[in-house]
Amino acid sequence: MSSMAMMLEGAAEINRNFSFRGLSALMPLIRMQQSTIFSSLRLQPREDGSSEVQLGETHVMGYVTSQLVQPYRDRPNEGTLAIFTEFSPMADPSFEAGRPGESAIELGRVIDRGLRESRAVDMESLCVVAGKSVWAIRVDLHILDNGGNLIDAANIAALAALLTFRRPECTLGGENGQEVIVHDPEVREPLPLMVHHLPVAVTFAVFGEGNIMVIDPTYKEEAVMGGRMTATLNSNGDVCAVQKAGGEGIMSSVIMQCLRMASVKAADITSKIKNAVDAYNTERALRKVKRHPPSVALEVCVPDVIMKENQVDELSRHEVQNLKDDPERGCSNDGPRIGVETSTTRGKNNVFIGGPSSWDPYSKGISSCFIRSSQDLPGPLNLAKEQEEAKISQNSIESHPGATNTVSSGPVGASVVSQQVNCPKSLKDAVKPKHRKKNKASSSSDMS
Amino acid sequence: MEVVRADGRTPNQLRPLACSRNLLHRAHGSARWSQGDTIVLAAVYGPKAGTRKGENPEKASIEVIWKPKTGQTGKAEKEYEMILKRTLQSICLLTVHPNTTTSIILQVVGDDGALLPCAINASCAALVDAGIPLKHLAVAICCGLTEGGYVALDPTKAEEQKMRAFAYLVFPNSSHSVLPKALSAVDEEPGIITSVTHGLMLESHYINCLGHGHAACAKISEFLRKSLQTQFPGDLSKGT
Repeated sequence: MSSMAMMLEGAAEINRNFSFRGLSALMPLIRMQQSTIFSSLRLQPREDGSSEVQLGETHVMGYVTSQLVQPYRDRPNEGTLAIFTEFSPMADPSFEAGRPGESAIELGRVIDRGLRESRAVDMESLCVVAGKSVWAIRVDLHILDNGGNLIDAANIAALAALLTFRRPECTLGGENGQEVIVHDPEVREPLPLMVHHLPVAVTFAVFGEGNIMVIDPTYKEEAVMGGRMTATLNSNGDVCAVQKAGGEGIMSSVIMQCLRMASVKAADITSKIKNAVDAYNTERALRKVKRHPPSVALEVCVPDVIMKENQVDELSRHEVQNLKDDPERGCSNDGPRIGVETSTTRGKNNVFIGGPSSWDPYSKGISSCFIRSSQDLPGPLNLAKEQEEAKISQNSIESHPGATNTVSSGPVGASVVSQQVNCPKSLKDAVKPKHRKKNKASSSSDMS
Repeated sequence: MEVVRADGRTPNQLRPLACSRNLLHRAHGSARWSQGDTIVLAAVYGPKAGTRKGENPEKASIEVIWKPKTGQTGKAEKEYEMILKRTLQSICLLTVHPNTTTSIILQVVGDDGALLPCAINASCAALVDAGIPLKHLAVAICCGLTEGGYVALDPTKAEEQKMRAFAYLVFPNSSHSVLPKALSAVDEEPGIITSVTHGLMLESHYINCLGHGHAACAKISEFLRKSLQTQFPGDLSKGT
């Protein structure tokens, strides 16, 4: 065994395909990932307060919910934060349902310590009435697939969920000004949490008498490792938590090197999280502004929006097929109506925006309309408009992984018809009273 | 007169369906089924040796674990587990692998009404993905009786709360789309695998719901068949 501490550089991309032959004659350990030092990280905030993280093969989902409770006696003007980790039996055949095992508890505690002790989330802003009611934030982490390095993945999921979470706004009212009124999210915009910094966990596995450190171990590496060390740092270089519970002894110089590497990695992951959350927030803002169900894609120019609603209404009414259609409509209607996604790739978070519209008030009908399908689109979405011969470009538009479009142009899968919107109707349509609240979710129906 | 529901659908329209399989690496079979905003992820761990105490060792046994989105598992989750277990027991060929346990774990990703039917559809797709021997597939739908007196299919959560009564119905996979037309001309009685009702409805309404549900299930089975067929023919279940 080499007595030299061998560290894997964090900066450059290294070919990961090497084996530790000296480690064990029986079980050669071959690093499987061929790409960068950290497994590929895919992060997808799904809705307010929920996120889905895929780190290599590990798949974790995080949900944040909030509730008004009484504060602790010794902290009357601080909210509470609780982390609940679920090692779902889905993730690994060895995970048992029911009481969490010690690794589940350890994971929960490491993440909790990183967030709470470092004061990442501002607790005092969660106070509503000191001593009487504060917001209790609850983070649920569901481990769906155990590909190793659950701590890091769960930490990222928790951070992303906390960043996208919005708590309802509440004011004091009532007779004596002591009653807390929680406002509906539709009435008043819910507020985000105040997160000061992002503590990111980076895990190292120890091999061979403390000489070899491997970052981001997979579950096979975890099975043979000598020990594990998790360092939680933020992008400022502050060490929020270090967890090393037993295992091989590591020299302090090696630990310092690990921390340095971890801070590089933490900065990288922080930027990835921030990018993903920003993309989600802009999409959310777009949704709020245009007051559409997210299913209908909107062009960038705002005046078109109002027109489009009516056009979509009309189109959808003509096009939308009753599912109890007579079978001789043929397969052209059948397949596209319901989307089939059979790929395992995660959602490409494209926000497809249709091409520029041409202002033509006298054109006959709507020759094309762009529909971006998503989960809550009313009725069958992927409409093959046989009568329209306009350009049909098939895109894989998946706003969420479970979207209803296929990638390929296969005959079986759904074909997404994306076409340009002409704004043929005159301006009177813009002010047409929206009696036909057809394609709007109930939230936007109070617009008219 | 076409009644239009809150999200723009007609009473007989389902929300867009999406099914993707083989998502998880450790599980033997996995599937994710979404109906609108209701999304359920199901994972199957194939036949494991031994049965639980109290189960019949001459047959395979099915174990269902339901994980809600947030919060502790309570009575509602136990009820869902029980309904799912009985439903899936009736579609699996239990005598192929006696004295084994097949576990199905469900994770609720989103809940916007018709959660149990979505879960049943997801677990059926996951069982297929894992290669568990089945007699036929099960297709589930939720039919509700609205205040207006008409039957609405696949309600959202808001609609479900306002409905007078609703029923979760599970039918066997219909073969209408693959059988030649002549053979399927004879419309036999729909065999119901499971029916769970909430609320008070007249007998005639229930029969009405059954009819609507059966027709809708024919469409869903078509979709399921298509989505299962597009997988590679040489796809083998994982053994890790």
